[in-house]
Order: sequence, then C-alpha cells, then structure tokens
Amino acid sequence: MSRSLTLLRFSLGQLLAGRRLVIVALLVALPLVLPAVFAAGADVDPATFTLDLFRQLVLPVLLPVVALTFSTSSLGSELRDGTITNLLLKPIPRPAVLGGKYLAAVVSSLLVLLPAETAGHVVAAGGLGSTQLLSGMLLATVVGTLAYCALGVLLSLLMARALLVGLAYALLWEGAVVSVAPSAASLSIRGYTEGVLAAVLRGGGLDLTTRLGPVSATVLAAVVTLAALVLAVRRLERMDIP
Amino acid sequence: MSAEPAVVQLRRFSKWYGDVVAVADLSFELRPGVTGLLGPNGAGKTTTLKAICGLLHPSQGEVLLFGRPIRRDPMLYRAIGVVPDGDRLYPRLTVRSYVRLHAELQGVADPGAATERAIAEVDMAPLADRRLKGLSKGERQRTKVAGAIVHQPALLILDEPMTGMDPGQRARFIELIRLIGAAGVTVLVSSHILGEVERLASQILVLVSGRLAASGDYHAIRDLMADQPRTVMVKADDARRLAAGLIALPSTVAVEVDGDALRARTRSVDSFATALPRLARDQGASLREIRTTDESLEQVFRYLVGRR
Repeated sequence: MSRSLTLLRFSLGQLLAGRRLVIVALLVALPLVLPAVFAAGADVDPATFTLDLFRQLVLPVLLPVVALTFSTSSLGSELRDGTITNLLLKPIPRPAVLGGKYLAAVVSSLLVLLPAETAGHVVAAGGLGSTQLLSGMLLATVVGTLAYCALGVLLSLLMARALLVGLAYALLWEGAVVSVAPSAASLSIRGYTEGVLAAVLRGGGLDLTTRLGPVSATVLAAVVTLAALVLAVRRLERMDIP
Repeated sequence: MSAEPAVVQLRRFSKWYGDVVAVADLSFELRPGVTGLLGPNGAGKTTTLKAICGLLHPSQGEVLLFGRPIRRDPMLYRAIGVVPDGDRLYPRLTVRSYVRLHAELQGVADPGAATERAIAEVDMAPLADRRLKGLSKGERQRTKVAGAIVHQPALLILDEPMTGMDPGQRARFIELIRLIGAAGVTVLVSSHILGEVERLASQILVLVSGRLAASGDYHAIRDLMADQPRTVMVKADDARRLAAGLIALPSTVAVEVDGDALRARTRSVDSFATALPRLARDQGASLREIRTTDESLEQVFRYLVGRR
C-alpha cells in the first residue's frame, strides 16, 4: 500500500512540478472568471450565464483539453523517455502502476478544473448562487474527468500521438459529428457529462434537453471508463517496454 | 551442481521483431558472482538483459529468475536491482530524492538510511543535493547504480554501467561491483569493451549477432581470441620487396600488395612489429604508415563465432 502511495505522490509531483499547476490553473480560470466579472455587472441571469458558459466552454473545450493533456503525459511521457522502467522494475503489479498514473492524472485535472469553475460561478452570482447548479457542474466535471483520463491513459499506451488523437476525438467527433448525428452521443463523453448535469439540475428551474437520459449517461460513462482502464491494464501487462 | 535453482535461467530464449531476429536460441544459467555479458553493439545484449528484467516478452523459450517467470510475479523485483541502458532519469529530482524514490518503491524498512548508504557506496555523497539534470554522464550513471543497490538486491543487472565514467570513477566502480559479487550477489554486467569486462568478471558470456558465441572462464576465451590472425596495413616506398621479407616470417599467414601498400595477416602482432623495422632497414625501404585494421571487438567476436 505504501508503495502505491509513493507512486501516486511521485506521479502527482511529476505532473504538477514547479509552477506548472499555477500556470495551468490560471490558463483555465481566466476564461471562466473574466466573463463572469463582466456578466456580474450586466443585466443577465447569473445561473443561466454560468450554465451557458459551462456548456459552451468547459464541457467541449477546457475539460477534455485539461484531462487529456494530463492523462496522456502521465504514463505516455515516461514510456517515451524510458523513465517508466524506474517504476516497472519494482515490486508493484502493473495494474497498480497504471492505477497510480491514472489517479494522478484525475487529481491533477480536478485540481485545475474544480476551483476555476467554482470561482467563475461565485463571481457571476456575486455569492454562492445556485448550489444545485454548482454541484451539477462539479459532478459532471468529475464524471468527465474520470472518463477522459481513462481514454487518455489508454491512448498513450497505444500510440505516440495520443494527445492529438484524443483532442481530435473531443473536438471533431464530439463537437462536429455528434451535432449532426445525435445517435453518436452514445459514444461521446461530453454527452455523458451533459446527461449527468441534466440529472442534477432536473426540477430546479434550469432543465436541460440532452440526447442521453441520466441513467444512460451515467451507465455509459461508467462502462467507457472501466473498459478503457481494463484495456489499458491489459496493454501495459502485455507490451514490451523499449 | 547446486540443488538450488540458478538465480537466472534462460532456456532457448529467442526474441524477434517482425523478420528481424534480435536474439536466437540463447540458453545459460547464472549463479552468485560477477558475470560479464560481452558483445559488439547490436549483438543482443540489451535485449537479453531486458528479457531477464521482465521488460520484454520472449518470442520463444523462457526466462526464469529464482526458478520463476518474473512477468507473472512482480514481487520478485524485491530481489532485483537494475541499471538500464540510456539516461532514464528524472531530471528535476536530486540525487538523494531519486535514490530515496527507489528505496520507497522497493519498500525498504528505513529508506532514509538505505538512501544515504547507497549514495555513499557510489561516492555521490558530496553531490547528493544536486539535481540530476546538472550532473555529468558519469555522475548520473553512478546515481542509477545507487538506485539499483539501495535495497541490497540478490541479483544486480547492469547495462553498460561505466558509460561516461572517468578512469578514476571506473576503477572505484569496478571495485564496488567486485565487492558486491564477492558478497554473494549475482551480478550480470554488459559491455562492449573487452578490457572493462576483464577487470570486472571472471565468467563471461559472449554474444554475437544474437547468439551465444562463447561462455565460461574469461581467460580461456581470451586465449581463443588471441589465436585470431590480425591484419596489419603497411605503407612503404618499396612494398613489394618488403612483402617478400614479411611472408618469410613464421607468424605471417598471408601478404597482399597493392601499389605502395601491403596488407599482412599475422598470428602475432607483437613479433610482426618487432620484425618489420629490421626488415625495412635491411631492404632499404622507408616505412610511411603502419596500422592494424581489424582490432575491433566485433572482428574478434566474429572469429569466435567462426570457430564454433
């Protein structure tokens, strides 16, 4: 157990080393907080503004970019530069190594995303605002982060350009294809997060129309996340390390 | 023959990538002490070491450590220390934090004390708080060795560990490895430099083109290598007359003349070097250039393969 904790702590340190956490957190927070500052002084409903910003900016762009960036570099960069041997040549089962790297990517992503979303929400509302909206956004972010990170870790084990492929999936498939072919939402992590968000907001005056119902979205998110992790474990256990 | 299983057993191990065979049908056993894995670049040394470490799957055959396949038993890594090829270090870490990371991942009871001991053993104590990115190649190699021995493994695998070390560092490193081997640890060290292995190990395995060319006592193999004729190229103003004198030497195998140059094959470079100036003086020839052309280890190794 202590070995796994050492691995997680070390992996977090690698991902968030130096000023990287501060820089990435600022880059994510600025596009959420700045518009909120202007919205707070304008005649707009803060809850509607925050929800729109979340659906237009966080779900399609910030969430996948942050989660895929951390998750593809968590294991992938060590595989590419060979430093992964420092971890694999230890009495730690490979699934635990993968789990540590995955958790490090999830925690890093959430450390960047959750405070930024909370700050944007608070600034726009001029206070705590709708807790239902805030909890819906944070829960959807957690679900999306778990799924995108699992996908990112798997891609980094399969190919060198994992981040590029992951972003192409998020921006092209989820952005373009799903909008013209709604049935494709069943293969869209963004669709799952919207479904989870809608489930939390239901009955609170901010009802959303989503392509997936809350149950389908939650089940599909769990299935995709677990499937990606299982495939990643199998890949790491079977692959030759260069 | 010991009843205990060998520390390392390779049984008809082969590894190929597509049509390229990296290692073919390799079998050997290792027991405590230092063994040198010798071979030219591309001979399959690193592939063999990676298979022993469990980083590569055998395409055929099996690799056993302490009688068990390591890919199915990661807890075996408690008993193994590895210095892999290449840099493979985290540049932002200090020497101390890198070695301590290894100690903690190995589950050492007192990682702080083990870290200081390992750092001292490789003479890195004065640089313990320096970041790895600012160290010389030799210093980084020694740091890798500290990380590999921090948990006092029963099997130590080192892939070209002396790369980048200066002569003083090499001498101290060789002494350290010999001490570790004498303490009952099984050590496997790869190198493509004959002199390095000679000072490190009494037992050697010679790999050439992915096959075991020779194995056993270093001195016996060295004697085999010494039988190989060497080629010496000589440039002189009367090469043809000089060649006639050289062919009469008992150690000369053959002489070819090409203009003002000749290529002599000799079984003894020493006696050739002694006789050549005398012959040149007697025949009034001026020597302009003398050099051996096939001193490379690869040529010597290929000779060994040819003898099999």
